[in-house]
Amino acid sequence: MVMKSSMEEDEASWGLGIPEKMKNNANWVDVTQEFKEACKELNLGELLHDKLFGLFEAMSAIEMMDPKMDAGMIGNQVNRKVLNFEQAVKDGAIRVRDLSLPELIGIIDTCFCCLITWLEGHSLAQTVFTCLYVHNPDLIQDSAMKAFALGILKVCDIAREKVNKAAVFEESTRIRQGEQRDPEVELEHQQCLALFSRIKFTRLLLTGLIAFTKKEISSVSEAQKLMSQAADLLPAIHSTLHHGIQSQNDTTKGDHPIMMGFEPLVNQRLLPPTFPRYAKIIKREEMVNYFSKLIDRIKTVCEVINTTNLHGILTTFLIDNRKVFGTHLMQDMIKDALRSFVSPPVLSIKCCLYNNHQAKDYIDSFVTHCSRPFCSLIQIHGHNRARQRDKLGHILEEFATLQDEAEKVDAALHSLLMKLEPQRQHLACLGTWILYHNLRIMIQYLLSGFELELYSMHEYYYIYWYLSEFLYAWLMSTLSRADSSQMAEERILEEQLKGRSSKKSKKKKKARPLSREITMSQAYQNMCAGMYKTMIALDMDGKVRKPKFELDSEQVRYEHRFAPFNSVVTPPPVHYVQFKEMSDLKKYSPPPQSADLYLAASKHFQQARLILENLPSPDPEVNRILKVAKPNIVVMKLLAGGHKKETKALPEFDFSAHKYFPVVKIILANVLLISVIIRNVLLLHCLLLDSAILGCSGLLQLTAVLVLDAGDLLSLSPQLILELILLLLNSTPLCYSTPHYPLQLIQLCLCEQQERPQS
Amino acid sequence: MRVRMTDGRTLVGLFLCTDRDCNVILGSAQEFLKPSDSFSQGEPRVLGLAMIPGHHVVSIEVESESLLSA
Repeated sequence: MVMKSSMEEDEASWGLGIPEKMKNNANWVDVTQEFKEACKELNLGELLHDKLFGLFEAMSAIEMMDPKMDAGMIGNQVNRKVLNFEQAVKDGAIRVRDLSLPELIGIIDTCFCCLITWLEGHSLAQTVFTCLYVHNPDLIQDSAMKAFALGILKVCDIAREKVNKAAVFEESTRIRQGEQRDPEVELEHQQCLALFSRIKFTRLLLTGLIAFTKKEISSVSEAQKLMSQAADLLPAIHSTLHHGIQSQNDTTKGDHPIMMGFEPLVNQRLLPPTFPRYAKIIKREEMVNYFSKLIDRIKTVCEVINTTNLHGILTTFLIDNRKVFGTHLMQDMIKDALRSFVSPPVLSIKCCLYNNHQAKDYIDSFVTHCSRPFCSLIQIHGHNRARQRDKLGHILEEFATLQDEAEKVDAALHSLLMKLEPQRQHLACLGTWILYHNLRIMIQYLLSGFELELYSMHEYYYIYWYLSEFLYAWLMSTLSRADSSQMAEERILEEQLKGRSSKKSKKKKKARPLSREITMSQAYQNMCAGMYKTMIALDMDGKVRKPKFELDSEQVRYEHRFAPFNSVVTPPPVHYVQFKEMSDLKKYSPPPQSADLYLAASKHFQQARLILENLPSPDPEVNRILKVAKPNIVVMKLLAGGHKKETKALPEFDFSAHKYFPVVKIILANVLLISVIIRNVLLLHCLLLDSAILGCSGLLQLTAVLVLDAGDLLSLSPQLILELILLLLNSTPLCYSTPHYPLQLIQLCLCEQQERPQS
Repeated sequence: MRVRMTDGRTLVGLFLCTDRDCNVILGSAQEFLKPSDSFSQGEPRVLGLAMIPGHHVVSIEVESESLLSA
C-alpha cells in the first residue's frame, strides 16, 4: 500500500479524549460531497492518514456494521424496542405489582440461570443485569419479587467482592396447611410452595456466603449447615420448574430467554469495545444440577478447615476448585510443614539452634521468602485446569530461586550446628523440602497435560518415560531422605527424653507419616513405567501413527514439552539427546523385542496393583488407579502373546477411568464399521421382505452384492466378511422366512465373489 | 468529525485515515444512537479506534472551528 500525504494534527495521540470544543454546541459543517470527491482522487490502495497513524493502528480498529465486530449493531437488528427498567415500567412492558405465582416462579428460575451463567464466567451485564427487576428493586411493590431481587443482588455482591454484613431480607407468603383441596386450590398451593422454597433457597445461599466472609472459624461450620439446608431445598425446586412462565423464544441453543422482566440488550452500550460476546444462558433443568454441585463443592471447601498442614491443603486443592484461606500466618504454616516433612533441627525446640539469634534470622528470612511462592501455589490450584498448567510452568522459576536459597541457608545452618552440637546434622533439610515441592509441581505439570488432552499418542512414550525414570525416581529418593531425616531427629529426641520417664521405652510401631506418600509414589511410578514400555512396544509393532511431514522433528516437540523445566537446577533437565541415550534399548544385549516389553509393562501394572491393594485405607484415587491397572495387566499379556498382531488393529486409550492413566484397548476399528453396515443392510432387507417388494431371491442377491462391496471398500478379506455375517445373523433378532436363509446368503456371497474380477 | 451511518447511528471522533472507497477511520470514537444533535441523547458508547466502511457512510460533518485552523 502506498501512503501518500499526511495531515498535521494538534494532538499527537488519538487515545485521549476528544477536545471539549467538539462536544457541545459545536457547529457542524457538512462536507460529505467534498470528502467523497476528494477521495476519488486517491489511487486504489492509497491512504490519506495522520502523521503518526500506521498500518498497525489501521488493523486494530473496530470495523463498524460488521456483526462479528460491532457489538452495537445488535440493538438495531432486533424488532422490539430496548427499554431500561424505568422505561419498561412506564411503558407497561413489565409489572411491579400483582405478579402472578407462575410469573414469579418463571422470573426467579430464569434469574437463577443467569446467576449461574455469571458464575460460570460471563459478564454481569449480559447475565444477571439483563433482569430488569434487579436494576432498581426499590421500585418493585410485590414483596416476594422485591425480596428476591434484593437477595440476588446481594448474592452477586458477596460473591464478587466478598463484602461482609448483609442487608435486610424478607420472608414471604403464607402456606396453607394440609386439608383436602380441590385442584385449583391445590395448584395455587403448589405454586406457593414453589415460590417459598425459592425464596428460602436464596436466603440460605445468601446467609451461607455471608458466613464465609466472617473471619472466625466457627462461621464455617455455620456455613456448612446452611448449605446443607439449601441442598435439601433443591429437589423441591426441581419438581416445580414447570410452574413458572416460560420464555417466549426457543432457548435450546442457549439464546437468552425473552420474557417479562428480562431485556438482554439493556446493557449493550455499556460493554467494552471488543467484538460481541454472547452469554449462553443455561437451561432451567441444568440449573438445579449446577446448584447441587456448587453446594457440594462449598461443603468440601468447608472440610478444608480440618486439614491442618500445608501439604494436606495442597493435595486437597488438586481436586477442588475453590479456595479458602486459614487464619494462620503463612510463615507459621510453612514452618509447620517443614517440621512435619523433614524435621529440620533448627525448628526443633530442643535444639540449641532454636534460640540462636543468627539461625533464627536465617530461617525466618527463608520462610518469609517462601511465603509468596507458596501462596501463589495455593492460588494456582484455584484456577481452572488449563490456566493451572500454564501457571505451574511459570512458578517453577520462582521455586528454582528458592531452591538456591534453601541450599545456602542449609549450608550456613549446618556449619553453625557443627560448632554447637557436633552430633546433629542439618544437611540439606530445607533443600530437600523445596526439591520435594519442585518435583511435585513438575509431575503435576506433566500429568495435567493428559487431563487436558494436550499430548498426541506418539508423544506418550517420552512423557511417561520422563515421569517414571526421572521425576518419580527423584521423588522417591527425596522422600526417603526426608524420612531418614525425620527418623534421625526422632532418635535424638528419644535419647534426650530417655532420662525423663521409663514409659517411653515401650516402642510402638507407629506408621511413618510419609509412608503413604512413598507408597503412592511407587504406585504412580510403576503405572508410568508400564505405560512407557507399552508405548515403545506398540511403536515397534508399527501401531503408533507418527507425523510424517517434511520439517518434522521429534526433538523440537520434546524440547517444547519440557521447556518450563529448563529453569530448574535440581533436578537438571534431561535434553533430547540425553534422553535418547538413556532410553536406548540397544544397550541391552540382546535388545528386547516388543513381546518382552509388553511383558515388562504387564509386570509393572501388576506391581502397582499389589502395592495399592496392600494400602490400609484406600481412597477413591486408589480405586481409580486399580480400575486402570487391572485391565491393562490383561491387555499387556495378550499383546505379549502375539494376539492380533497381524491385523490392522490400532490401540485406543481410554482415559475415562483415570485422567492420567489410560486403559489400553485394541480394537479392530474397521470391523466395527463393516458390521454396522452389514447390520443395516440386513435390517433393511428384512423390512423389504416383509412388505414383499422384491422377491426373496432377488433380495438375497442384492444383499450379497452390497456386503461384498462394503468389504472391498474396507479392504477386508472375504473370509472375514463371511465370518462376520454369520456372527451377525446369529445375533440379530430377525425373523427369517426360511430357516435356510443365512446359508443361502453366504452361498450367494461366495458365488458373487467368484464371479467378480480379481483385483 | 461526525459520521452518520446507514443504520442511524452516529460516530464522533478524530479523523485519522481514509482511502479511495471513503472508508473512514476515527480515533477516540464515540457512538451515539439518535441521529440528531449529539448533545441531546443519552450516554455515548466509547469505542476507541473505529473504522466505517465507505458504503455505510451517509454523511460526514466537520466541526467548523477545526476547519479554520487547518
